[in-house]
Order: sequence, then C-alpha cells, then structure tokens
Amino acid sequence: MATQDRSSYAEGFGQVSRTVGTVFRYLLLASTLFGIAVLAILLVYVANDAVQPLTADPGWHLTFFLTLVLPTLATAGYLAATNLEALKFGSMTIGLIVVSLLFSGGVAIIFIEVLAPLVWFAYVLAFAVPTVLMIALQRRSRQLSFLTRFVVVALAFYTSLFGLPGVVPSVAALVQSAPFVPLDWVLLTLTLGLFASAPTASYAAGIRDRRTGLGVGVLALAAVAASPFIGPPVFGIGTVPSVILASVTVVPTVAFVGGTAVTREHARIGILVPLLIVGGALAGEVLVDTLGYAGPQSWVDWQFLTSDHSGTAEDAGLYPAIAGSILLMVTVAALSFPVGVGAALYLEEYAPDNRITRFIDVNISNLAGVPSVVYGLLGLGLFVTQLGRPSGTIFVGGATLALLILPIVIISSREAIRSVPDEMRQASYGMGATKWQTVKNVILPRAFPGILTGTILALGRAIGETAPLIMIGAPNVLFSFPSELSSKVSAMPLQVYSWASYFATDAFYEKAVPAGVVILVTVLLAMNSIAIVLRNRYEQET
Amino acid sequence: MSTDDLTDDLTRNTANAPPELLTRSFFFLCAVLSIFVTIGIIGLLVTEAAKFFSITAPLMGVEGPTASVVDFLTGTEWIINNEQFGVLALVTSTLMVTFGSALIALPLGVGTAIYLSEYADPQLRAVLKPALEILAGIPTVVYGFFALIYITPALRVVFPSIGTFNLLSASIVVGIMIIPMVASISEDAMSAVPDDLRQAGYGMGATKFEVSTGIVVPAALSGILSSFILALSRAIGETMAVTVAAGAQAKFHNPFNPAAYLDGGSPMTATMVNLLTGDVTGGGLAYRSLFAIGLTLFVITFAMNVISELIAQRYREEY
Repeated sequence: MATQDRSSYAEGFGQVSRTVGTVFRYLLLASTLFGIAVLAILLVYVANDAVQPLTADPGWHLTFFLTLVLPTLATAGYLAATNLEALKFGSMTIGLIVVSLLFSGGVAIIFIEVLAPLVWFAYVLAFAVPTVLMIALQRRSRQLSFLTRFVVVALAFYTSLFGLPGVVPSVAALVQSAPFVPLDWVLLTLTLGLFASAPTASYAAGIRDRRTGLGVGVLALAAVAASPFIGPPVFGIGTVPSVILASVTVVPTVAFVGGTAVTREHARIGILVPLLIVGGALAGEVLVDTLGYAGPQSWVDWQFLTSDHSGTAEDAGLYPAIAGSILLMVTVAALSFPVGVGAALYLEEYAPDNRITRFIDVNISNLAGVPSVVYGLLGLGLFVTQLGRPSGTIFVGGATLALLILPIVIISSREAIRSVPDEMRQASYGMGATKWQTVKNVILPRAFPGILTGTILALGRAIGETAPLIMIGAPNVLFSFPSELSSKVSAMPLQVYSWASYFATDAFYEKAVPAGVVILVTVLLAMNSIAIVLRNRYEQET
Repeated sequence: MSTDDLTDDLTRNTANAPPELLTRSFFFLCAVLSIFVTIGIIGLLVTEAAKFFSITAPLMGVEGPTASVVDFLTGTEWIINNEQFGVLALVTSTLMVTFGSALIALPLGVGTAIYLSEYADPQLRAVLKPALEILAGIPTVVYGFFALIYITPALRVVFPSIGTFNLLSASIVVGIMIIPMVASISEDAMSAVPDDLRQAGYGMGATKFEVSTGIVVPAALSGILSSFILALSRAIGETMAVTVAAGAQAKFHNPFNPAAYLDGGSPMTATMVNLLTGDVTGGGLAYRSLFAIGLTLFVITFAMNVISELIAQRYREEY
C-alpha cells in the first residue's frame, strides 16, 4: 500500500494540469479586450453612420485603395520589418501634420470670428514692451533691489495693458487707435510668424550653430510672409488662414522633418510614409475627379463644420459649438494650469509635513472624486447666484470647468515633480541656489513634459464635459458667435446632447448626432494621443 | 565686488528674501484654494438645501413652500408639479445603474489588472494601457448616445419589451466607462506586490495561475477593494450617459427585481440635469430641490471616497 502510494506520488510529481492556467489566461485576455472591442465596434458604427462609406462608387474605393492604401501599407510593412525607427519617424510626421492641422483650424476660427488680428497684435505688443523692460532690469539686479524691480515691472505691465485712466493711455489702446493700420495678415505674420520661427531657429541652432539657427529662423519667417501670396491663388484660401496654416502647420512640420533628417540619418527614409499618404490622397482625388466616381455622402463635411445649428438635420452644423469649445479650452487652461502647478509645487517642494499639508492632501484626492454635476452646482450657486454673473457665459463655464479639473492637474503635476531626481535638487542647492531658483531652473524644466501630459489629459476631460455646462445655464443651441468672455457659450458635447435630446428625430439620430460624435471623438483622440506620445518620449528620456 | 557683498551673499538668509516670500506665498495660496473649493461646495449645498427643507427653512429666513425632510428621505414619488419630492425614486435608479455597471466593470477590471500586471509582456502593455485610457477619455455624452442608438436596439432582440430609455443599456455603458478606473488602480496595487512573494510561490511549485490568484490578488486586496469603491462612486456620480440613456421619468423601482432594468428611470444626476434643462425658475422650490439632491449625491460619493481611502490605509500590507 505504502509503496504504491509513493510510486503514484512520484509519477504525478512534476505533472501539473495546464488547462486551468491556460483557460484563466485567455479569460483575462478576453476581459482586457472586452471594453476595447465594444468601444471599437461602437465607434465603427457611428463612423459608418456619419461618413457613410458604402454610398460611394466602388470605383472610388478602388481608386483610393490603389493610390493611397496599398502603397502606404506596403511601405509601412517593409519599414516595420527592416527599419522600425524610420517607421516611427514617418508616423510621428503624419501625427504632427494631423494635430497641427486641427490646431491651425482652431487658431483660424479664433482669428476670423472672435479676436480681430489688430486687437491680438495690440495685446501682444502690450505684453512685449514690459517683458523687454523686465529682462533689461533683470540684468541690473545687482544695483536694484528686488522690490524696486518688482514694483516697476508690475506698474509697466499694468500701464501697458490697461493704461492709467486720464493720464497715460495703454499700449494696447494706442495701437488700436493708430491712424494707419497694416493689413491683417501683416499683423499675424509679425506675431504668429515670429512665434513659429523663433523656436525653429533655436532648434536649428541647437543642432548646428548660431548662424545656421539665424538663417533657418529668417527662412521660416520669410516662408510665413510669403504664404499670403501663395495661399489664395494656389489653394483658394484667404490670406489670414494662409498665414496661420504656414506658421502653425508648415513651419513646425518642416522643422521637425528637417531636424530629424539631419540628426538621425538612419530614420531618414521614414519620410516616405507621409509623402506617400499625401501624394496618394492627392493623386486619388485627381483620378476620382477625372473618372467621375462619386465619393461617399458623408455628413461630416465642410458644410457641417462651418454652419450654425438648424432645425433640419441636413443643414445643422457645429461651427459655434466648435468655437465655444476652443474658447472654453483656452479659458480653462489659463485658469487651471498656473494654479494647479503652483499648488503641486507647494505640496511637493515647500510644504512642511504637518496637519495642514496632510489635510490639503486628503482634500485634493477627495475633490477629484466629486461628481461633475456637483461642480456644475457650485458654478451655478457661486458664480451665477452669489456673484451675479450672467449665466452660461464663457467665463462662468471656463471657471467651473477649471475648478473641476484642478485636482487632476494638481495630482498629475505632483507626480511629474516627484519624479525629478533628488540629486538634481541637491546639486542646485549645493551651487548656492535658493529654493525659487531651484524650482525655476531645475525642477520646472525637468518636470515640464510630465506636467504638460497631465494637463492635456485633464483639458480633454474638460472639453468632453457636458453636465457642468448645463448646470451653469449654457444655451442648448447657439446661433451667434461667442466673442468675449461675457458672451454665451455652447460646446461640442452640449450641442451633441441637445441634438440627441431636444431634436430627437430619426433624421438627427442618423445624421447630425453621429457627425458631431465623430468630430468630438476625433478631437479627444488627438489630444489623448498627443499626451501619450509626450509621455512615452519623456519616459524614454528619464 | 567688495568683500562685504560676498560675505553678505554667502551668509544672508534667503528663505525670506522678497522673491522667495512672494513665490512661496503664491504657491501656498494655490494649494489653499482647494480647501476653499471644498468649503464652497459644502457651504453652498448645505445652505441651499437648508432652504428646501421645512425644518431649516425658517432659520434661513425663507418664506413660501418647503418640503419635509422625512418625506424627502422616505418618499417614493418624485413629481415636481405636485411638489412631491421623494428622493428614493431617484436613489433606487442610481443604485440599479451602479449595481449593473459593477457587475460588468468589477470582474472585467480585475481581470484586466491581473493580465496587465502578471501576464502581458511589456510590448503588449504599451499598447493595451493607452487603449484602456481611451475608454475613459471618451466623453460620457457619447457613451449615452451609443447606449440609446446602438445598444438598446441590440438589446431589443433579446428582450422585446425593453423601453427606448432603459436602465440596462445605461448600466452597460457606465460599466464599460469605469473599467479603466478599476483596472489602473488595481494594477498599481498588484505591481506594488514585491517579486519575492511571487518567487517564493514558484519555489513552492505553484503554477502561474496559483501565484496570481493565491498570492498576488490577496496581497493587493486593499488596493483592489479601494478601486472598487472609487469606481462605484464614479458610477453614482456619472451624469450624461445616464441622462441620455435612462430617460427622465422618475420611477420607484424595486432594486432587486431584474425586470426593472428593462424600464426607464431617472437617477439623481439625470434628474438634476433635467430639472435645469426644464423650466426651473431661480429661487423656486424645484430650484432648491436641485441642491437637496446635490447634497445627497455629494454625501454619498464623499463617504465612499473616504471609505476607499480608509480601506487602502487600514488593510495595506506593508512590505
């Protein structure tokens, strides 16, 4: 008996059934993929409803398959097998083009509808003058005490922006009342063009030397200045959009491609991917036109993007809502970024380990869990009822959303700041730097990509929010354009919600709402991918 | 530069120099702002809700109609025009959506977390984690639309009696939405389990399955539980998906009756949105009922967040 037991034990030794483990493993994989798969299916459905690819001629699909899909896939496959780095470079370029095109669309809407280029130019100048003064004073920091410099600079900023009533007019007002005003595109070239070419120049100078950098910068500025002469006759767009497109899309993309091609010879070949995609799309377009194949009856089209809301689904558009979302995003970013980063810096770098700090700490994580409707109530009760601001304005909406994402910004900024190695702080203190100097020169530059990632994700959350906007009384339908902080605002998700609930007809369910959902999801996916790419690069560096 | 200057520079106390003081105070104010936000939320909800209830309304100097606390907490009818404010009609719908979404999100979320932390190789993780983040990044109103337009018709094939607005489709989308939350917090907890424990398990002859379920999951249990509670609190506070998918008809359901899922309901959050999109006049009783619901919602979610934190601290295994 005993021997038999022992032998059977010996036989079974080392033989464990793998069935349970295998089944478990695939169950886990299935549960991981379940949500992703469901969402993917739903997105395919809604894209199908919005774009309706099946309404196009088979010839249309065939043409684009042959000119666009096949060459791109073949090249990408070849690169994936032989030169992964080049493929990464190629896809980064495509991503950059897409994102910067979205961005220039947003900037163009702001300059065409909301902010006159002259006003913008006036305020840029009004900021530039005291900033130059501040830098000049910084040089003389040995002779002048900090307080003197601080007071002078603060006074200069105030005078330049708002003026002293009755005594000195502000720079902003002076520029706006100037007797002779250059054309809009000249103003934009002087501002946006400079903003685009200055970083390009410093990027080029970092690769080669100062002279090359200067040359590249001048070249970039010249390209922006030349764009209004090329844009209208060749592409049929106005001078203002040409300048915006040149400085927001063309210059950064060319700089990225050129810089990478120079520094990483190995990846150079990856430029084929974007070239094939752009070339294939153009070739397909020309072929389809000449062969007379009809494209799909897409609801996501230029008309949808550029027209106002309408009672009939076919004519309804998203334009005011897009503009509202952009303005809300700018307001939210301006309000939540400095405060969030400031709070994170205090908690990570300055705060003593005492009760107040711990209380703030617990409080922030609790705030992150408060439902968004409750923030909406806060906005309604605080800004509208108590402070008497008009309901549904950009300011009230932006401030409410900023409070909503503040805990998220703080938490992610803290993580980024915490990941700065302590040696760097010690080195900075060892050099005799004060706390603020350490924060300014060591911690913030190092933590910046992480902070930016968290802020972009939080902003994505903010522009996807609907409930707080409803609570503060944003109008369901907006025909006119929001033009200042105190005008009523709509937003993309709010517009989609009102189409889905107040215009609940089949026509809206099948046309306007899917199109709106596609636009909204595209914008959010773009923002999420920027954040993810930024984080991946940042993690590789550290 | 004279020597005096140098000695001065080397020995001066910089902690309270003007630039230091200025920046430190600014950062401190930023951090303290969060406390004011909390005070603002609590103060606002309490004062406005106090004007709603008959017991406290005289203290607030409010005249006009009020509602009784007992009726509010125990009533099962929510009809604004009849001035019937029974919050249970809303709470049951909220509970049903929360329970339904938990059935989907908790097992799937934990499964995802185990897969990501124990099984997936780094390359697969690098793809799956951002994909899961996207699940959480889609706007909730879009989820609501999906539930209304695609999921409900699909469910009608199985349950022919399902309403246009129903709690089942709302529960499904809310469940999908909170999977990433369960997954990411649980995965953090599992990744924090030291490798020694796993190695010890393998040394004893345990299989990967036994190590995952017998060692890693119990060791990370506090994190997993706190992720459950946080996700449920998120489901309770979820607004737009349920507003679009579950409808606006406030009904008292028996939460233990599965057939009720096929019917519409109006969870607390959806009721608040519908109150404001309807014609609520500022200052009226309906307007104040908004804050009474808001207070109820805030108390529930706040309590859950605190409990989750306590669990995470109390039952944390120290390694």
